[in-house]
Amino acid sequence: MKSSSPLARIMAIRGMPMTLVLILTVVIFQVLNPVFLDGKTVGNYITNGIPIMLITLGVAIVIIGGGIDLSVGTVAGLSAGTTMFTLVQGAPLVAGIAVGCGTGLLFGLINGFLVAYMRINDFIVTLATLNIAAGLLVVLSQVQPLQGVSVPGFAELTKGDLFGIPTSFFIAGALFVIAQIMLAKTIIGRRLYAVGISSQASNVAGVSVPHLRLFTFAASGLLAGVAGVLLASRLGAVQAFLGIGYEFIAIAGAVIGGISLAGGGGSVWAAFVGGLFLATLQQGLRLNNVDPVYFSIVTALAIVFGVVFERQVRRVILRAALHRTALFSTDQPRATEDESVVASSEGSNNNDK
Amino acid sequence: MTDRAETPSAQSLVLEARGVTKHYEGVTALDHATLAVGPGEVHALLGGNGAGKSTLISIISGVTKPDSGKILLGGEVMPASGPLAAISAGISTIYQELSLVPALSVLDNIFLGREIKRKTLGLPLTSDRRSMELAVRDLAADFGVTANELHTPVSEFGALKKRSIEIVKALAFDPKVLILDEPTSGLEDAERQVLFGYMRSMRERGVSLVWVTHHLEELFGLADKATVFKDGRTVATVATESTSIDKLITLMFGADREEFGGGDTRKIAHLQPSSERPVILRARNLTRGSVVRDISLDVHEGEIVGLAGLAGAGRTEVVRTLMGLDALTSGSVELNGRRLSLRNSTAAYRAGLAMLPEDRKQLGILADLSTAQNISISRLSTVTAAGFWMSRRKELALAESYRGQLGIKTPDVNARIGNLSGGNQQKAIVARCLNTSPKLLIFDEPTQGIDVSAKVEVHALVRDYAANGGAAILIASEIEELLELSHRVLVLKKGQIVGEVRNIPAAIEAGEFARIKSEVLTLSAAGQAS
Amino acid sequence: MTSKPRSATETIRNLWERLLVDPTLGVISLLLIFALIAAFALPVFYAGNNIYNLVGSSITVMILSIGMTVVLISGGIDLSVGAVMALCAGVAATVLKMGAPLFVAFVCAILVGIAAGLLNGLLVTRVGLPDFIATLAMLGFASGVLYIATQGVPIIGYMTSEYYIVGGLDPLVGPVTFPILVAVVLALIVGWVLSRTKLGTHFFAVGSNAVASRQSGIPVRWVKTQAYMLSGTCAAVAGIILAGRNNNVPADLGTGYEIQAISAAIIGGASLMGGRGRVLGAVLGALTLALAINIINLAGVPSSFQKIVIGVILILAVIANYLSELARGATQRRRAKRLSSIDA
Repeated sequence: MKSSSPLARIMAIRGMPMTLVLILTVVIFQVLNPVFLDGKTVGNYITNGIPIMLITLGVAIVIIGGGIDLSVGTVAGLSAGTTMFTLVQGAPLVAGIAVGCGTGLLFGLINGFLVAYMRINDFIVTLATLNIAAGLLVVLSQVQPLQGVSVPGFAELTKGDLFGIPTSFFIAGALFVIAQIMLAKTIIGRRLYAVGISSQASNVAGVSVPHLRLFTFAASGLLAGVAGVLLASRLGAVQAFLGIGYEFIAIAGAVIGGISLAGGGGSVWAAFVGGLFLATLQQGLRLNNVDPVYFSIVTALAIVFGVVFERQVRRVILRAALHRTALFSTDQPRATEDESVVASSEGSNNNDK
Repeated sequence: MTDRAETPSAQSLVLEARGVTKHYEGVTALDHATLAVGPGEVHALLGGNGAGKSTLISIISGVTKPDSGKILLGGEVMPASGPLAAISAGISTIYQELSLVPALSVLDNIFLGREIKRKTLGLPLTSDRRSMELAVRDLAADFGVTANELHTPVSEFGALKKRSIEIVKALAFDPKVLILDEPTSGLEDAERQVLFGYMRSMRERGVSLVWVTHHLEELFGLADKATVFKDGRTVATVATESTSIDKLITLMFGADREEFGGGDTRKIAHLQPSSERPVILRARNLTRGSVVRDISLDVHEGEIVGLAGLAGAGRTEVVRTLMGLDALTSGSVELNGRRLSLRNSTAAYRAGLAMLPEDRKQLGILADLSTAQNISISRLSTVTAAGFWMSRRKELALAESYRGQLGIKTPDVNARIGNLSGGNQQKAIVARCLNTSPKLLIFDEPTQGIDVSAKVEVHALVRDYAANGGAAILIASEIEELLELSHRVLVLKKGQIVGEVRNIPAAIEAGEFARIKSEVLTLSAAGQAS
Repeated sequence: MTSKPRSATETIRNLWERLLVDPTLGVISLLLIFALIAAFALPVFYAGNNIYNLVGSSITVMILSIGMTVVLISGGIDLSVGAVMALCAGVAATVLKMGAPLFVAFVCAILVGIAAGLLNGLLVTRVGLPDFIATLAMLGFASGVLYIATQGVPIIGYMTSEYYIVGGLDPLVGPVTFPILVAVVLALIVGWVLSRTKLGTHFFAVGSNAVASRQSGIPVRWVKTQAYMLSGTCAAVAGIILAGRNNNVPADLGTGYEIQAISAAIIGGASLMGGRGRVLGAVLGALTLALAINIINLAGVPSSFQKIVIGVILILAVIANYLSELARGATQRRRAKRLSSIDA
């Protein structure tokens, strides 16, 4: 059978197709504009992209657990605001970082509490907290201009380097590695995938679904908080509208990386590749003098493309798997199971949230 | 009757399927299947899971398009152009899952997709509910749906009423053929009899019935003919009066009755009555609203306690409260003398309870995880290092040991469980439960939707579990299955215990199967709470 | 057969239970409570101008929430309404500026709205995107297009004297403005479609049980697509009116309207689970929202708090919705039980 060829199997690894697309994109941009791969340029654009990549990671964790978090963008913006606000008051660096991360975590916990224990639709809850966080940032920026901080070390969080590598690479790298270990190697990760696949069945199997839901939103909030701190450090000034629309880029990044919106499918690598791809795209367009507002249209198209692509790849995997099973045991035809596969891929437009 | 059993000539056939073939992603669901239904005939479709019955009726009713082959209605080829075309050509279908829209009134449901319209501003825009009501009122009354109920949302009715509404919906447009896919699922014996009465009156109206069922004993006295499918092919069409259950089973599975263990007393004989042994579970006065009312029960070591009752009697609801899945209003549960707090399912598993849930696809398997991951999920601590880090090696070893022990047939325990057959999925869920070393294991409809040979194996697993000293609660809608496996049966009605039948293995050995069966059925239908 | 109430107490009980079962009851009482608070606490509230402004400011959200209700009933959600509304406003303004008559500009705007809705519908039903992702993508797309077209500079200089009437800045007859008229007519039409036509029944059917609808021969995908198209049309109408009311079309004109529209629809009794909702509820929901914002404005709270208040109201509305669903379920069960005992 054609579908179980080695190539198909490699492509079936989650995140793998997008990795190839990413490499291809880099090559194209390099050909178009040789400055693209210049060491400093690369360092810069990735540094710029890191906050959104962290948000992407947070959203990816929530999506894998079968939920959605729309609030990440404005929560990151608000966290940047509270960090700045704290530092403007003359507090030490550690306090500023703690307040920023704490803001994110607090919003994550609120989201998680409302979704997991009050059983409110996650999409509505986070749409509401998106607005609340955005509103709070507006209020905060009216109380005090959020700029002009000269606390030693703060700007170095993003602008400094260690052995020639930007500092924020280490921060982001550590967070991605921790997330990867957590998802792939621990009990929490396993339960997370189970809940994402079916919260009902997980509950019957004794998995504590609410705790996990709360955990995913808390993780996503915390990552948004860290992203906010890095944003504040890099920008040096926080505007009232910071973070609006980031959730859109983050979800797009997760989806085109190959994370299934249905839940239960995805990896840290997929979130990383998806986020990096969008950052690369943005940089490439900028270097080639394309108006940055086109980026939002490209992102919108990327979401559609990503979902369709993910589904096609999945179909190939399933077909290959069915083929293998059919070869092994010929005692029963699995028409009914197969039908359910087709039905579930066709019926994915029904929102089962 | 006798002339119906003869092969009718092509002209007198109402519905015919010729050479229907359908593939799903490389798997053949139907392979040149044929079917011939005469006028005013009740025609049963039989076959194991995956035999192709459901695919065939979905093709006949226009929901699925065949790869090749054709459907003839009254001798004319039907174009494969969707469900509405099939309905207007005279084919109505009642699906296995209740297919009514809860938000709409009964009347709107009956006319869904075929509304009678009235002119507004010269255009046929407005739904004419008055004409709709007039058109269907008498028919509805025949099936026990009052004029008042026509305007009530469907969400307010129970299972039997919904079936009646579906029948009215199916008959409202004078179909030539009515397809019923497992119409008795969700109904219990008394309600089934009501439904069979309806089916007879439909036949008297001259409607041909195509009836898909798993319950062979239902056929006799009602079906005129039966067509048996196996592996997507039509095996044979037989007249029911000249056949028997054994013969049909041979056609369906190519095996005889002995193998699937109906009424096999040898397996029951080694089970000991066990009420002298220590009590494992002691539940007192369990109450949850009006669904579970004042239920008290004990389960002893090595004992299987069956819960009997009609649909809606509250059997699943009782075990769900035990598992902490639904909250109790009041009541207490002790396991090995220790009082449990039933906050959630996690606490229940930790305390030593485990459950194999009904509805395997929705509540049982985690389809996208592997078989190994499905087995370990309820107690991950058995496959971890330092209680937190997953150990692939341990998980694999665990899965392999259960694969051998329970006979789970899969090429690879790391492959997606969704691709296994229903029986093997169910065995993996049993492994999941056993892996938690439960003190009490709950089996809720353990053989629902799996084929006969897998059923026998699952029955053996349940028996072995109890024989090794485990305590179990069993729910099974098939009364024979319940009685063959249980030591003791509690009969529920309207959320209350209305009776108890003890020493079942001994009774069966003494040849009193029929007596206890009728005792349980009588209690289920007419028992009074003491 | 008919269960006629047999005594006065029974009549009252029936009436009371019908009120409890009625999804619009909650929003009416909320509206009354808010109005009472306003009346006692803030005397300025009943100044003629204030109420007039309040109604005027609620029209845009009202029209959007009517479309949103239909989408929610059919089991979807439309996040793109704000961005599509702004895009349509931009289209109307641009076409007007090119010298076309009012009518042509409006037709163009409405066509764009319908097209956006159609695209949403196709993304959801044909491509198979989850609805909030598809409409989120549309939000990004529509706002991106408007941004590029305007280059960040608001469109101005398109107002005509007729457009002042359309925007409601000048009244039509007496105190009635054109937007009020449009909102009322739109509400009546959509209400009629939902309760009296086949399409309306199909919206409910598709949202309540899509599988059963398909088996009954309803073109589920097309019905859902129509719901999105209706929502797109409503967004276009709202955009036309807002462009008139606002005097200019900035690129971020539509930001935040989606949450208001969703809030209004949910306050009005629409369910995120599909199969339930009412046009009257949406209208009252939009009024309630406007009233709440009005009250905090009058109370001297800075307008920067508006977003926060709307976010909080949305969460409270969903919680209230959930609680009333529980209450309704219980009442319905009681009612059904009594009815069946009467029958027996």
